[in-house]
Amino acid sequence: MHPPFSLIWFFLTAGTSIGLFTFTYLAELLSLFGFDTSLPRNMVVFSVVFSLILVGLGAVGASFHLGHKMRAWKAIKRFHTSWLSREAVFSGAYGFTLLLYGLSYYFGLNAFFIHLFGITTLILGWLSAFSTAMIYASNRFVLEWNTSLTVLYYLNMYLMLGSSAFLATTYHYKPQLVKPFILLTLFFVILGLSFRIAFNIRQFFLKRPTLNEALNLPHNRPIRVLDTGTTTNNYCTEEFYYAKGKEMLSFVIPTFYVVTFLVPIALLSYSLISGNLSYGFYALTYASLVIGSAIERWSFFVEGNHVQNLFYGLYPKEGYTLRKGYMERRKTKISL
Amino acid sequence: MAQFALVIDLNTCVGCHACATNCKEWNTQAAFGPLSDFDPYGKEPHGVWYNRIMTYETGEFPNTQVFHLPKSCLHCQDAPCVPVCPTGASYKREQDGIVLVNYDDCIGCKLCSWSCPYGCREFDEADKVMKKCTLCIDRIYDETLPPEHRKPACVLTCPAKARFFGDIEDPNSEVYKVIKERNGFVLFPDMGTNPANHYLPRTETKVHIDEHILKPDNPLFLEVVQKHYKGG
Ligand code: SF4
Ligand code: SF4
Ligand code: SF4
Repeated sequence: MHPPFSLIWFFLTAGTSIGLFTFTYLAELLSLFGFDTSLPRNMVVFSVVFSLILVGLGAVGASFHLGHKMRAWKAIKRFHTSWLSREAVFSGAYGFTLLLYGLSYYFGLNAFFIHLFGITTLILGWLSAFSTAMIYASNRFVLEWNTSLTVLYYLNMYLMLGSSAFLATTYHYKPQLVKPFILLTLFFVILGLSFRIAFNIRQFFLKRPTLNEALNLPHNRPIRVLDTGTTTNNYCTEEFYYAKGKEMLSFVIPTFYVVTFLVPIALLSYSLISGNLSYGFYALTYASLVIGSAIERWSFFVEGNHVQNLFYGLYPKEGYTLRKGYMERRKTKISL
Repeated sequence: MAQFALVIDLNTCVGCHACATNCKEWNTQAAFGPLSDFDPYGKEPHGVWYNRIMTYETGEFPNTQVFHLPKSCLHCQDAPCVPVCPTGASYKREQDGIVLVNYDDCIGCKLCSWSCPYGCREFDEADKVMKKCTLCIDRIYDETLPPEHRKPACVLTCPAKARFFGDIEDPNSEVYKVIKERNGFVLFPDMGTNPANHYLPRTETKVHIDEHILKPDNPLFLEVVQKHYKGG
């Protein structure tokens, strides 16, 4: 699939926004139950303003994916069937209640209202994250995406971005929370690593359809694409098959594994073990996670193979072939 | 419930691209047009087509067969491209089962094209909306046209008469009969889309060689025998 930069931008901005708000608000919420997690006023204001700006920038960025930006509001009309519609509704509502939370906190409204807005924002934020992930996970024509791992990884990505952003912020405002958040960020990054490895391994075991199935021909009939009707690329061959990206995958996949997972793990565990709690580690961790996740999301798109590519002979091969009179099961060949 | 559809005979389709060309010609100037083109006479022509013809070869050399597959929107009865649309711009008509895009509501998010396993929707970079075969809805209901012309442009133009149009749910229709009699099949049946468009399978054609050709005094005898037994 062709990776749209506007969507990658949205994932990163919404991810940091929702993630950072989650940890900020949870710290505030826990303090209600007697934990010493209540945050300095400045930190809450900073987090909320930063989250608001990010979700705004994310929405503007995502609209560049649309052909008609001014009609974007119409995307709320099919809430009952479309995950994209749900995403639009939930992320819009998230931004709105986040603003309410920020205002009520800033002007010191009744604590009940502050927490009411806080909890609503939290729930809406995660519903929006879940809906975004479901747009991809529910597409049964891109087998690589059509798995719960897509959702798990995606939600965990928000937690990775959020906890590392919180870590870099809390360093300045409430240093007592630095150590717990090093551990928490490490935990999410390691979890993300295992989800991503599982996502990649799963691709080798996919039962892929064949051109014979697409054309409804017997399995044992060899078939080749001779001509696709045009001398150049068309929408179908560009949107669903990113040739340049496919060539780069063998280089990009190891790169994002290093930048998204290995570098943050190394930085955080060094800081934890050596006891050197300097800001540089956390700023770098966050930066590395953002850059790595951008590359990872790019790769997520390029790794996806749409079944319509079968008609163009651009789909990874698997299935049965007729060789020397008997049937042979071919191994999935993934061209990186 | 009526379900209009195309039925395409793979036996007679010669892959001439006339249906695709006439589709483009009609639709670029009719109600659902234009079908924008970029750099049409240059090195990298690029544009929207509702109908494309693919050519495939089956069998192992030397026993191979070539066939052509014209592919336009199959107007699936369980169209997966409809529920994913966030605006409801992509819809399926109750009265005749035609799947259409409302250009005034489409925001160009492309999600419907991601949800079509056949690659039958194309994004128009000029109009910034999703476009697809309309089953020539602006012809089939047009009462100003003579009745024999109230058919899709691609059906009317096909020089091999390989394309049929009608209601596949109506037992009296031509398409219902040919699907029944000639084992009409659909593309990608496993995808759960239940396409309305059907294809008629190719049937083997055997070469009949007359007795007298195989007589040794036929000057072409050797050639015929060689040709006939080449495959082993
Ligand atoms: S062929 Fe594709 S575009 Fe047409 S109805 Fe089926 S899924 Fe939708
Ligand atoms: S591109 Fe248009 S028709 Fe397709 S899903 Fe988006 S809004 Fe609906
Ligand atoms: S029915 Fe009309 S729109 Fe569809 S492929 Fe034929 S000519 Fe094109």
